[in-house]
Amino acid sequence: MVNKNYNKKLKALIALRLKIVRPLLCITILPYFCFIGVIAFKPEKFSPLIFNTHISLGIFLGLLLILLIFFITIRYVYLANKYIEPQINAIKNDI
Amino acid sequence: MISKLFLFILFFCNFSSASNGNNENNYIAIIMFILFVTVTLFITYLASKKSSTADGFYTAGGNITGLQNGLAISGDFMSAASFLGISGLVYLTGFDGLIYSIGFLIGWPIILLLIAEPLRNLGKYSFADVVSFRLSQRPIRILAACGSLSTVILYLIAQMVGAGKLIEILFGLPYYSAVMIVGGLMILYVTFGGMLATTWVQIIKAILLLFGATTIAILVLFQFNFDINLFFNEATNIHKKGVSILSPGGLISDPISAVSLGLALMFGTAGLPHILMRFFTVSDANQARKSVAYATGFIGYFYLLTFIIGFGAIILISNNPSYLDGSNTLIGGNNMAAIHLAHAVGGDILLGFISAVAFATILAVVSGLTLAGASAISHDLYANAFFKGKQTEKSEMFVSKIATIFLGVLSIYLGIIFQDQNVAFMVGLAFAIAASANFPLLLLSIYWKKLTTKGAVVGGSLGLLSAITFVILGPVVWVDILGNTTPIFPYKYPALFSMSITFLIIWIISSLDKSKQGVSEIKSFDAQYFRSQTGIGIDTKISH
Repeated sequence: MVNKNYNKKLKALIALRLKIVRPLLCITILPYFCFIGVIAFKPEKFSPLIFNTHISLGIFLGLLLILLIFFITIRYVYLANKYIEPQINAIKNDI
Repeated sequence: MISKLFLFILFFCNFSSASNGNNENNYIAIIMFILFVTVTLFITYLASKKSSTADGFYTAGGNITGLQNGLAISGDFMSAASFLGISGLVYLTGFDGLIYSIGFLIGWPIILLLIAEPLRNLGKYSFADVVSFRLSQRPIRILAACGSLSTVILYLIAQMVGAGKLIEILFGLPYYSAVMIVGGLMILYVTFGGMLATTWVQIIKAILLLFGATTIAILVLFQFNFDINLFFNEATNIHKKGVSILSPGGLISDPISAVSLGLALMFGTAGLPHILMRFFTVSDANQARKSVAYATGFIGYFYLLTFIIGFGAIILISNNPSYLDGSNTLIGGNNMAAIHLAHAVGGDILLGFISAVAFATILAVVSGLTLAGASAISHDLYANAFFKGKQTEKSEMFVSKIATIFLGVLSIYLGIIFQDQNVAFMVGLAFAIAASANFPLLLLSIYWKKLTTKGAVVGGSLGLLSAITFVILGPVVWVDILGNTTPIFPYKYPALFSMSITFLIIWIISSLDKSKQGVSEIKSFDAQYFRSQTGIGIDTKISH
């Protein structure tokens, strides 16, 4: 099934996917382990209340992390539909 | 059989209300629960016509839409344990509950970015289809089935014991009959309705749970004019730990445990067989992608609600004597925070509704688990490992139904055996196994060209065994349950070590594998990769 004619397009598809997935994967894994890291090493850093409210930095960042996860999934679906799908369809049409 | 079961339920409900005399809210809960059971059994009856084929039984015909599957995934994932457990943890410790919420959510972008699409493109009925795509069928199927079954059974025990205790409190049913009703209904749903009925049970339950939790949260915030600042201020004034509930408590103390728990939660979700199986119910990778996005939205929203509910419970019920027992703890334990709060803000009607939803939630989760376990037995072990695809579809379906009944009866039995045991560690262990055996196999088989059967089998089995061994020798089982003084393995969460073992051993053995078979497996990677990336070559499901 893998033919040299498709190889170029397939390579482009893989490169594109990597370009989209890699940064999103980074902003999933790094903030999460930073969050866990602060809890493990310096939990007191999360205690201060922010912006003159009764909400602590830890709760604020935790809720922000949940919003970030929403953002990552929506962003990926958007990018995949806009850029990856057309390339897959182009390969399908060739076959 | 269905009508008999009904009589059985009615009998116990009557028995329960007669026995504890409690009364009106119980009736509301019972009426709502019977309504749920009636509707879902009717759906099972309708689905039974379509579930006689393998496609129908394992994948609901493959025509579930992304939105429906997203709801069903969230219905599969949002267990009663996480609803009541996390809101109870927030009630007790504040911030620490958030650590779990985020942990259970962080696995979803990983599934979306790395697993969902190739999984749909390569597999048909179970994740073992993907792992064994270019590797040797028999050993890989057996290994994947061991991973699936240990995850499913541990999860089932935890759900069953939790269900028995919860239903005992909510409906006044004796523990044994609660476990048997859950097991019996689950067997009916899965044997007769297969994936189609299970999917709809999960969708209905997800909607009910999200609706119920939203109602509680809105009623709570309404009392503070939706002023979040005032809300947190009130909670810190009332809680005996004061402002410290807004920052990390003692849930995670040392860095190794923190990283280990983080890894298990992050990658465990991507190794849960009942979740992975749901991706075969949609038509293609595009819909699989949409399912995860919807599911992440619903699940994340749900955890935000549990956070509000936990803090709401601190404010509204922690000082209210009608929800406390003599020693000033919540009646029925901290996990009842959400249930009591429902009563505090919405009276008997909301209490009844939430109780019925909790019951429905348990049913949906155990059905999904049983279906995944049954397909590991019938599709991976029976059809592919032992008969190498030479069985008839009819015999495979027969085995799947026997396997469902077997797993149902087994989980009732284990639910009764483990009644008085601490089973909280079992979900953690299921996640550790999923992260240490199922996930590495899946990830490497999709992305790593040099993976060979030998590497996968040795590494995967060692990962599975080490996760189990570390937990048994660790503080929870070795010390707390078996009563020894010091643990042999010092950490509560094994994932950091067991995952490292899996990846390392798979890498070493695969790299050393110069056998003819290994070489040809490496050669066939390109064709597999092509299909996993493009979806060209997958079965196109025809709508019917």
